[in-house]
Amino acid sequence: MVSPRANWKGYIKFGEVTCPVALYTAASSSERVSFHTLNRKTGNRVKREFVDSETGDVVEADDQVKGYEVEGGRYVVLEPEVVAAVVPESDKTLNIEAFVPCAQIDAIYLDKPYYLAPDKMGGETFALLRDGMEKAKVAAIARTVLFRRMRTVLIRPHGKGLIAATLNFDYEVRSSIEAFEELPDLKIEGEMLELAEHIIRTKKGSFDPSAFDDRYEAAVAELVTAKSEGRSLPKKKTPVASKPGDLLKALRESADLSSAKPKSKRKAANANTGASKRKPTKASATGKRADPSRRAS
Amino acid sequence: MAVRPYWKGYLKLSLVTCPVQMMPATTDNEKIRFHTLNRKTENRVVSQFVDAITGKDVKEEDEVKGYQRGEDDYVILEDEELENVALDTTKTIDISTFTPRDSIEWIWLETPYYLSPNEPVGEEAFSVIRDAMEAQKMVGISRLVISRRERAVMLEPRGKGIVLWTLRYGDEVRNEDLYLTAANDEKADPDMMPLVQRLIKKLTKDWSPQMVADPVQERLADIIAAKKKGLKKPAKSKAGISGAPSEPSNVISIMDALKKSVAAEKRGRK
Repeated sequence: MVSPRANWKGYIKFGEVTCPVALYTAASSSERVSFHTLNRKTGNRVKREFVDSETGDVVEADDQVKGYEVEGGRYVVLEPEVVAAVVPESDKTLNIEAFVPCAQIDAIYLDKPYYLAPDKMGGETFALLRDGMEKAKVAAIARTVLFRRMRTVLIRPHGKGLIAATLNFDYEVRSSIEAFEELPDLKIEGEMLELAEHIIRTKKGSFDPSAFDDRYEAAVAELVTAKSEGRSLPKKKTPVASKPGDLLKALRESADLSSAKPKSKRKAANANTGASKRKPTKASATGKRADPSRRAS
Repeated sequence: MAVRPYWKGYLKLSLVTCPVQMMPATTDNEKIRFHTLNRKTENRVVSQFVDAITGKDVKEEDEVKGYQRGEDDYVILEDEELENVALDTTKTIDISTFTPRDSIEWIWLETPYYLSPNEPVGEEAFSVIRDAMEAQKMVGISRLVISRRERAVMLEPRGKGIVLWTLRYGDEVRNEDLYLTAANDEKADPDMMPLVQRLIKKLTKDWSPQMVADPVQERLADIIAAKKKGLKKPAKSKAGISGAPSEPSNVISIMDALKKSVAAEKRGRK
C-alpha cells in the first residue's frame, strides 16, 4: 500500500528531547451544493472582474496590492514581501511551550486537526511523549510555522498516535460569557426539570457522525424538478413556539409521548407519568389537545 | 451584544419549541484586515460581475443563483424559492438523540456557534432544555441546514446558553489507520517514564488565552503604525518569535536529554 504523503515534516521538541514527526491532514472539507451566479436578464453566467473603484479600469492581479485603511480614506500599502517577512522563518520544530490539563481545554479554540506520526527512528521518543501525556492527562501547547503561518497547536494522545489541532487565536474567539450575558439567569427546577430529564433519558442513544447523510442536495434537486415541471412545493409551516404558560403542559405531553413509544429504553425512571396508550400524534400539536389526561388506560 | 444573528429559527425538544438565534463563536473582526488596492493609483479595487457572454456589467439585483442541470443549462433559483426546500431542518433544530459528551470525539467538531433564545417568550423553554441536558450530562444531536448543507449538529450547555457545533461528515474525517506505521507500535521505555512524567509536570501550566496570542498580528500592527508615521520600518528579526532553530538531538540519547531537561527546569525554578 502506498503510504500517504505528509503535509509537513519536522520535529517535536519538549525540553531537550526531540523527535522527528510527520503531519497529515485529518479532516478535509467536502463540497456543498454549488450554484453559479447568473445574470437574471440574460440567463448567462457571470464572471468576476476586479476594477479600480475610481477609474473603473480593470486591475490585473499583478497590480493588486494589500492596503491597510487609516483615517481619511488613506491606505498604508504593504507589499507581499513585507507581509511575508513578518512570519518568522520556519525552524520546522513544534516546540512544546507548556502542557495543559485536558480538563481546562476549551474546544472552541480548536481549528483544524492533523494526525501526527513518528517519522524515521522517532518511534521510541514519540511513544514516551504520547504515553507520558496520556498518563498525566495533559495536552501539549506548541508553536511553529505551519504552511507559512505562525500557529499555536494543541497536541494530544489519540490511540497509538497524536492529534495536533491548530488553535484559533485569542482575538478570533468570542467570549461565551459576553455572548450570553444578557440572558436571564433562569434555573429550572422541580417538575419541569424532572420531565425534561425524563424526555432526555428516553431519547438517549449513540450517534455515529460517520453515518450521517446530507439531504440538502437531494432536496434542492427536487425543488429544481418541481420548478421545471411548473409545480410549486408546499409552503413550509412556521413552527409555533410554546407559550410560557403552556410549557409545563407541553413537557407533560412530551413525556407521555416518549413513554408511549414501544422502544422506550428499559426503565424510564419517572414512571409515574404513566405509559399512555395514546398514539404519538404529530409533534406540532403543542398544547392543542383539549384534554391532557395522563391516565394510563 | 449588538451582533446581528447569523441564523434565526427554533429549538425543539419533543413538543417544546422555542425561538432561538445563533452566532458564530469565532470571528474575524479583530483581525488586521487589508483591502486590495491598485498599486498604480492606490485606489481601492472592487470586484464586479460582468456577463460572461455580453461582457456588460451586471447589477447586484440582477445576480441570481443558477442550478446547473446540464451543459449551459441552468435553472434560476431565487432565494425565497430556496427557502421552500422540503426540509424542516432549515428552520428547526429538533433534538432527536442525546448522548454522553465524551462519545463524540473532538475530531468531529467543526464550527462552534452560540445559541440563545431569540425572544423573552422562549427563555424558559430554552432554559429547561439546557438545564436538563446539563443535569443528565448529555449533549443533544440534531440536524440543521447551515450555508446550504444539512449538518449533524451537537448541542452542549454552556453557562446561560448553548454551544452548537456542526459535526464533520463521515467522508471528511480520514481514517487514522492510514497514517500509522510500525513506529507507532514502539513502546515507551518504562525506565524513562518517571523522567518524562517529571518533565511534563514541570512544564504543566494552567490554560491561558496568552497561549494563543498572535505575535505575527502584533508585528503587523507595529509595521503599520511605523509606516503610518512615515518612519522606517523596524528591522526584520527572523528568530524573534520562535527562537533559534534547534538541531535535533541524537535519538539514541533520549535518557540524557530527559535528564538535562529536568535539570534545566529545576534550575529555572530557583
